[in-house]
Amino acid sequence: MPDMDVLLAGLSDAFSLVNLLFVIAGVIVGQFVGAVPGIGPVMAMAIAIPFTFFMPTLPAIAFLVGVNKGGLFGGAIPAILMNTPGTPDAAATALDGHPLAKQGKPVKATKMALYSSITGDTFSDIVLITISAPLAVLALKMGPVEIFALMIFAFSVIAGLVGDSMVKGVIAAVFGLLCATVGIDPEHGTPRLYFGFFELFDGLPLAAVAIGMLAVSEILRRLASAGSTPRSAITSLDGDDPTVSRVSWAEYWSCRYVMARGAVIGTVLGAIPGIGSTAAAFMSYASAKQASDEPESFGKGNIKGIAAAESANSAVMGANLIPLLVIGIPGSIAAALLISAFKIHGIQPGPLLFEQQGRLIYGLFGAMILANATNLIVGQFSLRLWTRVISAPESVIFSSALLLCIVGVYMSTGGLFGVAVMLVFAVVGYVMNVFGFPVVVFIIAFFLGGSFETYLTQTMVILDGDLTRMIDYPIAVALVVLALISVWWLGFRKKG
Amino acid sequence: MKKLSTFVTALCVSFVLAFAAHAEWKPSGPIKLLIGFDAGGETDTLGRVVAKAMEDQTGWKIIVENKPGGGGIAMFTGLAVAKPDGQTLGMGVNMPILVNLVLRGKDLPFDLDSFDYLATIARAQLAIIAKSDAPFDDMAGLIEYSKGDDGALIAFDAKPQELLMNFVGGASGANFKLVPTKSSAEMIQDILGGHVAASFAAGAHIPYLESGDVKMIASANDGRHSYAPDTPTVKEQGFDIFVDPYFFIAAPAGLSDDTKAALSAALNEAINSDEVKAVIMNTLKTEPSDLGPQGTTDMMTGGVSNVAKLFGK
Amino acid sequence: MSANRLSGVFVACAGLLLLFLIIPANTETVDYGRMRPQTIPDLCAILLVAFGVLHAIRPRGEVAIEWREVWRFALFATIAAVSLFLMGRFGFPVIAPVTALVVMLLIGERRPVWLATGALIIPAVVWLVVVQLLERTLP
Repeated sequence: MPDMDVLLAGLSDAFSLVNLLFVIAGVIVGQFVGAVPGIGPVMAMAIAIPFTFFMPTLPAIAFLVGVNKGGLFGGAIPAILMNTPGTPDAAATALDGHPLAKQGKPVKATKMALYSSITGDTFSDIVLITISAPLAVLALKMGPVEIFALMIFAFSVIAGLVGDSMVKGVIAAVFGLLCATVGIDPEHGTPRLYFGFFELFDGLPLAAVAIGMLAVSEILRRLASAGSTPRSAITSLDGDDPTVSRVSWAEYWSCRYVMARGAVIGTVLGAIPGIGSTAAAFMSYASAKQASDEPESFGKGNIKGIAAAESANSAVMGANLIPLLVIGIPGSIAAALLISAFKIHGIQPGPLLFEQQGRLIYGLFGAMILANATNLIVGQFSLRLWTRVISAPESVIFSSALLLCIVGVYMSTGGLFGVAVMLVFAVVGYVMNVFGFPVVVFIIAFFLGGSFETYLTQTMVILDGDLTRMIDYPIAVALVVLALISVWWLGFRKKG
Repeated sequence: MKKLSTFVTALCVSFVLAFAAHAEWKPSGPIKLLIGFDAGGETDTLGRVVAKAMEDQTGWKIIVENKPGGGGIAMFTGLAVAKPDGQTLGMGVNMPILVNLVLRGKDLPFDLDSFDYLATIARAQLAIIAKSDAPFDDMAGLIEYSKGDDGALIAFDAKPQELLMNFVGGASGANFKLVPTKSSAEMIQDILGGHVAASFAAGAHIPYLESGDVKMIASANDGRHSYAPDTPTVKEQGFDIFVDPYFFIAAPAGLSDDTKAALSAALNEAINSDEVKAVIMNTLKTEPSDLGPQGTTDMMTGGVSNVAKLFGK
Repeated sequence: MSANRLSGVFVACAGLLLLFLIIPANTETVDYGRMRPQTIPDLCAILLVAFGVLHAIRPRGEVAIEWREVWRFALFATIAAVSLFLMGRFGFPVIAPVTALVVMLLIGERRPVWLATGALIIPAVVWLVVVQLLERTLP
């Protein structure tokens, strides 16, 4: 049981006026910057970090947490309104979010994203605050062999998303995996498939490929299909009509199972460093679709699809802090950025953190709850603001979005090379789309491919090259069995 | 408030000193400091605080740019062809550069002589660690343990570490099974979870040393670590090999002597400032160590032969 | 041969090309350890050949090629590429407004207010925020 004095001191730090202002500023910055096409939540955090060098510790961390949480919701906005997600997890949100927005209900779609995002986030924050220590110990039991098995399980669930042609889905996935092998190989450290570009030693830049395939490809397509008469980028039927723009309590409540499942998937995958929010968002989406009575309504603007994706990807971030705070291990890029912010302030996350910095940690917990509340309130304004902005003529919206993607990728990859990669993959994405190869499947395989190869290599070393030795690892065996059941169930459901 | 006024005074004093010291050469515009790694990482953090301190002390304008790729190879490729006017500098880590120079030197568009070396910022302290309940306490014990039925799993996250263990394994007949990982965090996770017998660690393990979860088997540097003066190096334990990762700053070759002197003096002053010292202490758990232009050059040339030894060349 | 079937043939050929030319020429040979640098790329190439052939034999799904859109996509992609090249030479402040203006004119925007917004105000705001406020660089 924590010391009551420390807890109260920490909480009162969190609720001090200065801290409150930094949380609010962080959320606003996060929601705004995270929503700009091509920039996104991670970039927002990376940009914000240098500004926190010279701030006091708690406000600095609180500000970054605000940016991160605001950014998580912000990232869903362009995905829903323009179908131009900047990250793979936002691509999961776009699957149903954008169709709903196209039906003239952009405010409703973004509201659903906001509510489910905060629901998932709050759930994982509560888990973090109450039972992080035992969970972190459990997570440590997951070694390379177990994580490899977990990835197999995740893939087996996500496979349910492959569209009308299984063969095309497999080709897209294999192509994604192939692209993920560009760069240094995990076991021997030799550079592969870099064609003389030293920039490719670290692999194809993730941000450039994701933004190129998901956002720029769509922007160029929209430019290409634009008629010669000026029109708005999105038509909002709901505007200020509360009956269309509202998410009613009944609708929210009907998503309770979907959101609960999403929150649990996100929390579990977040607590285990190594897999991350892409897998969580798509696993949650795929299982919501599978469990639904009307799976065919997914992808056509079903609010449950939005709820599934957003609750899971937001839950990952809170849960990422479990291994971060308890054992000092970051589970995602955003978490790694947070660790470097801690370190700059002389704080080493790890076993002694709660003992030595109890007050700060409770302050941080207080700030997280505050940030969630702020997110909810600020979100109401920013989603209306963005819906307004996007109803400007599409000529302005898409030309600006194109410039912003160039700027965002230039900043995050450090040069025009990354921007060129972005453009190449925009074309690849368009061609795949025209021929009916699922781009989203490519992106999932590409994002998880690097870790997949690393964990496979580690597993091979640990098992002396003999995969049947996995039998000595009960957790791994259980996960593989679950994967088999999931594949069987997928086949069964399809026929039934 | 008082703190602020002392800070301002210190700033003014250092301004005056700086102008006195660097009267010979002044940049004619902003200086670009290229960082060979992503935003948000250790190198980025160090580079940005050094740049900030240098700005405060000299009044020069310094723009920091991230040019990630290949552990700095991409950035140095660009730096090698930049104009040697002292307005473009690059910061990287020596190890990936040295490894690539030794292994695929002919494919690289630069060599050691393509740069003028200005300063080092700090030396990362690389340790070999194990869980505290492991049945061994030093390299000899680890080697003995590895000769058991299943060998010893050892996690590493960079090529030189793998080579160092191969060197030790070759010399002692140990059965090390080397597990490649992507970060020091992942290695700590594997150690704490009991998934590997030993691993490398570059500072992230220090809190666990304090908490008693982890013990240190050896220092992999060419010298013991400040926080663990009783743990001998791999070299002291009988294997003539070490890995010394340095953060360093270089410029394209051909700087004039004035420029070189002014830049290295400014860098030295910045690196030893209190702000930079604090950040180095916080991130790397070590003191700043600026070897100066000559020392940095020697470190790089010496590094090539040491890395060649790691590869058995 | 339908475009859908053709895509399978293309994938299979790409797989063969990768397997026998591209991958061997662009990887290094290592003779120890559990995995080769080529293991996963080769596996991918083989799967591409296999599934490409499968798709060519029994094409599924739909292919909807709308030539007007394809050509215009190529046009806008080319504009973006040229703009990138020019940005590397002349910088963002010069090229970004021109790019935005060309793009807007091409999709039929003629209203001066909106043209000014997209071609002047937006690039200026981006430049001010990134370069002045955040002290990051742009091309």
